[in-house]
Amino acid sequence: MAIVGHALSIASLLISLAIFFYFRSLSCQRITLHKNLFCSYVLNSALTIMYLAGVVNDPELVRRNPVGCKVLHFFHMYMFGCTYFWMLCEGIYLHTLIVVAVFAEEQHLHWYYLLGWGFPLVPASIHAVARKTYFDDNCWMSAETQLLYAIHGPIVAALLVNLFFLLNIIRVLVTKLRDTHRAESNMYMKAVRATLILVPLLGIQFVILPWRPENRLAGEVYEYVMHVLMHYQGLLVATIFCFFNGEVQAALKRQWMQYKMQWGQRRKDHCSMRSTSYTATSITEVPAFMYHHDCNSEHLNGRHTDDSELVALKTGETYA
Amino acid sequence: LIIVSHCVSVLGCGPHYQHAIEEFCLAKFKLDMHELDQRHWCNWEDTVELYGELTNCTYLVAVKMGCFWPNQLVDEFFIHVHRHYFHDCSLSGRLLRDPPNRILGPFIVVPILVTLLMTALVVWRSKRSEGIV
Repeated sequence: MAIVGHALSIASLLISLAIFFYFRSLSCQRITLHKNLFCSYVLNSALTIMYLAGVVNDPELVRRNPVGCKVLHFFHMYMFGCTYFWMLCEGIYLHTLIVVAVFAEEQHLHWYYLLGWGFPLVPASIHAVARKTYFDDNCWMSAETQLLYAIHGPIVAALLVNLFFLLNIIRVLVTKLRDTHRAESNMYMKAVRATLILVPLLGIQFVILPWRPENRLAGEVYEYVMHVLMHYQGLLVATIFCFFNGEVQAALKRQWMQYKMQWGQRRKDHCSMRSTSYTATSITEVPAFMYHHDCNSEHLNGRHTDDSELVALKTGETYA
Repeated sequence: LIIVSHCVSVLGCGPHYQHAIEEFCLAKFKLDMHELDQRHWCNWEDTVELYGELTNCTYLVAVKMGCFWPNQLVDEFFIHVHRHYFHDCSLSGRLLRDPPNRILGPFIVVPILVTLLMTALVVWRSKRSEGIV
């Protein structure tokens, strides 16, 4: 059952990655961080499926206890950490962008790559060393050991720090920037809202895991909720960051309109309605730009603008 | 007379002795070990009393039958018991358990501290790259 969740996650994440790579107009630093986050989720789900199908379902392999299954467990723990540390990178990026630098120029992403891909090796290695020395059971399958906190501890710390940063951003957006930078703070509020929904969803499994209710019905509900939260995370992340994103939806609608126009054009090629179809295309193009592009505001440098100026600036940028 | 008594004791320490210890000692040991959860068979604290009773039992039977103790039959008997009950215990002879808190603590606290340090470092560096100190 967990494998189904992870397979669905991989599918939705790959679709989201395809959308992000195909629509170049969406590209910016925040989307780059999203792409890395989605990659880590895809790898995490793939490794989980490999571990569940290959090791947990195969008692003969566990009895033989080859080194390979411990290596697989190590990489599984590493990718598990990667997903949470990339969420932390998203939070730190938004915090630096909004609170520290106030919508200033592009940041160098090297440190984010280091924190997201490189650092999770540290808790995973410490866990591997401790496990090998003190609790070396077959394939490291046992979940009864407190040595697993060597990985879960840093993850919970990362989630708490992330939550703190996001709440700080909200505080700054609501109190200090509302008067001076209204348009941008509205835009960034949307960006932060998505991340702020996700962080507690990802973290809640660590909080309520020890408290399984005794009541039978409540216990069943608890099992389902925990199952969804733990194994459908990739799907949740892809949905909230990509499918529910206004800009992505606008880009998809634009593309769909273009295809429809092209089919319509091919069918009516022999007719003399060519001129009307050209004007129809330009009319459907314009409303798409009324959506606030939450990435391009990085170029605005915090000037005082209102909505109409914003639209004019964006159309000018794209067509220039 | 001495030769005869020797003959009797030699005969007594043969299959008759083996049968006796299996019936009297091993049966009780089997019952006790089955009451204990199989996962705890490798746990010395749980099994030391039962093992001691088994050893004692074989000694008493040997004394009753006038055999010398320990002897080869007893050795084979215990090898058989080990092969059946203790064959997959780890080298330390202990059930896997967590290390004491003074070792477990640092293994948990150090990664958390390193995480917080690394996060602070990344925040500070990304602040620096903006040109704002």
